Amino acid sequence: MRRLLRSLLLALVIALATWLVYIGREHQVFLDNKTIEAGGQSFRALKFVKISVNGGEPIELMPRDRDLALVVGPAFKIRVEVMDEWGEEVEKTIDRKLTPGFSRDMMLSMPLLAAEREDWILPSPTAQQTAAAANEAPPAELPSAATEPLSPEGAPPPANP
Amino acid sequence: MSRLNRGIGSLLMDYAVPLIFIVISAAAIPLSGFSAAYLVQELLIRVGRNSFLILSLLIPIMAGMGLNFGMVLGAMAGQIGLIFVSDWSIVGIPGIVLAMIVGTPFAVVLGVLCGEVLNRARGQEMVTSYILGFFINGVYQLLVLYFMGWLIPISNPALVLSRGYGIRNAISLTGIRMVLDRLVPLKIGTISVPVATYLVIAAFCFFIVWFRRTKLGQDMRAIGQDMPVADSAGIPVNRTRVIAIVISTVLACYGQIIFLQNMGTLNTYNSHDQAGMFSIAALLIGGASVSRAGIGNVFLGVTLFHLMFIVAPMAGKNLMGQAQIGEYFRVFVSYGIIAIALVLHAWKRFRDRMEARRSLRGPAERREGA
Repeated sequence: MRRLLRSLLLALVIALATWLVYIGREHQVFLDNKTIEAGGQSFRALKFVKISVNGGEPIELMPRDRDLALVVGPAFKIRVEVMDEWGEEVEKTIDRKLTPGFSRDMMLSMPLLAAEREDWILPSPTAQQTAAAANEAPPAELPSAATEPLSPEGAPPPANP
Repeated sequence: MSRLNRGIGSLLMDYAVPLIFIVISAAAIPLSGFSAAYLVQELLIRVGRNSFLILSLLIPIMAGMGLNFGMVLGAMAGQIGLIFVSDWSIVGIPGIVLAMIVGTPFAVVLGVLCGEVLNRARGQEMVTSYILGFFINGVYQLLVLYFMGWLIPISNPALVLSRGYGIRNAISLTGIRMVLDRLVPLKIGTISVPVATYLVIAAFCFFIVWFRRTKLGQDMRAIGQDMPVADSAGIPVNRTRVIAIVISTVLACYGQIIFLQNMGTLNTYNSHDQAGMFSIAALLIGGASVSRAGIGNVFLGVTLFHLMFIVAPMAGKNLMGQAQIGEYFRVFVSYGIIAIALVLHAWKRFRDRMEARRSLRGPAERREGA
């Protein structure tokens, strides 16, 4: 009986910890307004766009801009207002609710969202860089960088202290 | 008349340390030139920040184990919890609670280790726990400096050293900074009161009062008064002492998390270093001794200790033209006070023992001696 109670208590603590991770996680949401290729098509950056996350102060993006919004919790709302190039009239308003849940960071492509495509949620730039670095890693049979002369004198760069 | 004198002398002896501090602070406050509102605000913040840590020292004193210098073990456990929470990007109150949940198993394991070691070093608990703190500090550094980012996955690059493993010297706790202090906002004039922090501290005080009345609390008090008698009475002395240290270590873990949420920055390799020394100094300044401490001593001590922290540098600057002299004076007095309190305690114990021996001799022998 005692063991059962202890197991139950442990399970309760683990459940509480999981719930805390779920409700307390801070997500980095990158808002990206760059021209992007998807499905063999090119989607041009929007002229001017205003993005409001969870009803907060709108973030204004020009072509080739990227900004960061921090959101806490398992879900958040986003309102995107596509403006004309003078920034005076709203051409289109898009409201979306996102549920990142346990996942950490994400990037939202504004041109893809404006085109109402499904693949407008992209991996974060850090994740993209990691994936690109993994793809570009040299095969194991090639001589490693450490055995090759790395500077004109042949000395490797100094190690970090 | 001589009995009255002895009574006054004993009272002065018991409260010598807080009296010294009250006199010094009373002289330093006008010299510092700080306004009352500023002093009250600073004290409110600092008392809220430190009280939980100091309260965690009470239970081992109750169990006769002296001042638990091993509370730094709990502080390290709390910091490990905070490092993980920062890595997982958990913010706000969930972040603090999760750091406590993550830190608890570390604190329990370290507390059991500390308790077992102290059971083998009876009579030298304070120095043993002090040295044990240094040993576990080495293990902590091994874990944080080499294993984290290598054996233990740390995905946040902001936490990891540029070499790819090991945690950086300073971690910004912006996600949980002052979230407990600002949970229930209350402003009285220009003074803001960290209500939630004080509610947590009050809950802890009630826990201590309740705990003293439980069977375990009574056992601890019995052990603290006379260990052989408690053993003869069938109280599991070793187990109870280990439990006392485990409770203290776990509470020190929570205290360190509360302390660091207020500071907003975690110095990975030094934040825990001074936790034990500062807390013990504050408790002793409050009039506690190695064998007797209460909730009142905690609050009196932390108030006087931090009052000295606030006013001494400015008083030194105004008096001598250099803030450094005031700061030196504060450090000198604060740590000197630990030595004074320990010496006074040893002297008092010696005096009590002599008096007890004299009383056993009986009136006839006492007259002969006279």
